[in-house]
Amino acid sequence: MNDAVIEIHGLVKTFRDFWLRPLASALRGVDLTVGRGDVFGLLGPNGSGKSTTIKLILGLLRPTAGEVRLFGLSPRSRRARARLGYLPELSYLHPFLTARETVLYYAGLSGLDRRTSRERAAELLSRMGLEGSADRAVGGFSKGMARKVAFAAALVSHPELLVLDEPTSGLDPLATRDVKELIRTLAAGGMTVLVTSHQLFDMQDVCTRVSILSQGKVVGEGAVADIVAASADPRHALEDYFAAAVGAKEGNPA
Amino acid sequence: MKESFLLALRAFMRGRVALLLLVAVGLIHWLMPDFVRSDGTASGILEMHVRIVPGFAAAVILLTVLSTSCGMFARERELKRLSLTLVRPASAWGVVCGKWLATTVLAAAAIALSSVLVLAMPPALPGQAGVPPCRHHYEPTLPPPAVVAGHILGGYLRDPATPEAVRKAPKRAVLALLTTKEMDRYDVVKPGETMVWPFDVPRLKRQMEEGAELTLRVRFSTQFELRTPVAGILTLGDMSAVVSNSTQAVIEIPLARTGKGDGVPSPLNLTFANTGRSAVMIRPRRDLVVLAPADSFAWNLLRSQIEVWSLAAMLAAYGLFLSAALSRPVALFTALVSLAVVLMAPSVVAQFPDEFNASFADRFGLWLSRAVQSATHSVSAPSPITDLATGRAIEGAELLRTLAGNVLLLPGMLLSLAAFIVRRKPFADG
Ligand SMILES: Nc1ncnc2c1ncn2[C@@H]1O[C@H](COP(=O)(O)OP(=O)(O)O)[C@@H](O)[C@H]1O
Ligand SMILES: [Mg+2]
Repeated sequence: MNDAVIEIHGLVKTFRDFWLRPLASALRGVDLTVGRGDVFGLLGPNGSGKSTTIKLILGLLRPTAGEVRLFGLSPRSRRARARLGYLPELSYLHPFLTARETVLYYAGLSGLDRRTSRERAAELLSRMGLEGSADRAVGGFSKGMARKVAFAAALVSHPELLVLDEPTSGLDPLATRDVKELIRTLAAGGMTVLVTSHQLFDMQDVCTRVSILSQGKVVGEGAVADIVAASADPRHALEDYFAAAVGAKEGNPA
Repeated sequence: MKESFLLALRAFMRGRVALLLLVAVGLIHWLMPDFVRSDGTASGILEMHVRIVPGFAAAVILLTVLSTSCGMFARERELKRLSLTLVRPASAWGVVCGKWLATTVLAAAAIALSSVLVLAMPPALPGQAGVPPCRHHYEPTLPPPAVVAGHILGGYLRDPATPEAVRKAPKRAVLALLTTKEMDRYDVVKPGETMVWPFDVPRLKRQMEEGAELTLRVRFSTQFELRTPVAGILTLGDMSAVVSNSTQAVIEIPLARTGKGDGVPSPLNLTFANTGRSAVMIRPRRDLVVLAPADSFAWNLLRSQIEVWSLAAMLAAYGLFLSAALSRPVALFTALVSLAVVLMAPSVVAQFPDEFNASFADRFGLWLSRAVQSATHSVSAPSPITDLATGRAIEGAELLRTLAGNVLLLPGMLLSLAAFIVRRKPFADG
């Protein structure tokens, strides 16, 4: 399919120490396809390999085996990088920069000109509700505010693909709702989103497709609509699906 | 490039590194002459002002540059910020260069402050200028010692009387040995004889035609006794001086015009006619320097500070390179150790030139020292603060060579490596 934004085949990642002795098998043969316009949820418990998958997609790590294509290109190519936005799981901003300077800095790294950067920074910061703090140093920001600044930085280049690693972890319920609302708005605008979470019900009402990772393997995949339709309890459809998938893999049906 | 440059500059300014460094430099200039007592003589006070204070300030600046640059990527990685930069389409090389440029700007600011303070706070020395003169140092125009060594070796090999051992010895090692010997070779001027050394420097001739006042810095040695009187006549073109002296220290003898008015001969030679009763020994490559007036102390200060800055630029690139691969403490430790090796290599090579009868380990050490010395020549060769203090004018060509090595060549290599390493993912954060 030409419309695939991310294609992953047989992805294996084994972390090794300095002497190349294996430390951890983070991924053991993962296949994934994220189509244009999807809000794709990569779900799984802690340590299942979600962040590793994302780093491989972004070209930050090299696969041990298998292949990753981003927009049909290598993830290490500059043209692929120009088309994506990334919000890491844990990110510390430069504490002495203001919110606006932070966004402008990343806009500059994406090659935007001054005027466009300024316009977009102002627009994004007000969209995040940060107008009042735009010119304060982010060193003094709360976790939620810092996450919003990082969000604005990820969006400033108007990416086609937005990669969010645990965007809601550590946020209070209201901030979580803001994030989900934002994802929905972006998706409605045609952006492809890849989002990870270990909180399943979080993502049920946001994602169009999900893939469930457990111990470095995909144990279930499908459209959220189908999963919900097949479920006895629609409110906990994803959780049940997840439990069943993980349980089936481990050989003890839930 | 621009972004990472501005980011690093802001970090220096808002993170107070810049402020602290500038204050430190200011305090060194302001307080050090009072706290560290010089011997109280005029020359001691002058030495404090033109050598010890600016030298200490330069050391502080260079160490600051090294320690900040050693932390630059390490810190980004620790705080998991590097990936945010690496997923952008900006080139890693640009990011690395931006950080490097910002560090060199920080160094330039601190060095500029240091030079301004040297000029602004001259010591009060009654009846004496507050700064040393600045003079060109001209040396005899002898063929390079390696070339001379080659001729000597060629002579040995052609001579049937040369023992087999010399023929069999590794040629490179013999050449190295002969080269060092040539550097320290003595010319012996017997009583009644005259020795000639070429001084065919175009600019020296030009200065002589313009009537510049020249001084000869010379050291006479006598074979046996320390206090044997030396007598003779020194002549350089249309200038000369009468020597009557009994010391083996380095002395300066002003040359006077002979008044014959036949201009500067070409080729220009320095001659010494020994009119005394004992032989006089002179090492032409060490003991003979013609001093001629150059521009002012201020200009020499500028040149010497540019050399200091070039060292800062090199260290910044080196620190960034290490920082790309290592954590900050490891990078800093590695940097300091390797810096010591670089600075020691020339003296290792100079003191242990002899590869014969050496163990394998010694030969390897010598080989390594030579390699390090030739690769880092632009780092170890300049001695900007010593030149400033002794009033040796740093020549333009010299300055350009130092800049080419320390600002273009070495940083170009180190920064490219840094960019390569930063992009290699096993090192990337997370
Ligand atoms: N840099 C690393 N070095 C060694 N092991 C790692 C590294 N990063 C992740 N791992 C291991 O890989 C596995 C998957 O980690 P991760 O992808 O971060 O999981 P998740 O994001 O799903 O919580 C874990 O067992 C983790 O310990
Ligand atoms: Mg994770």
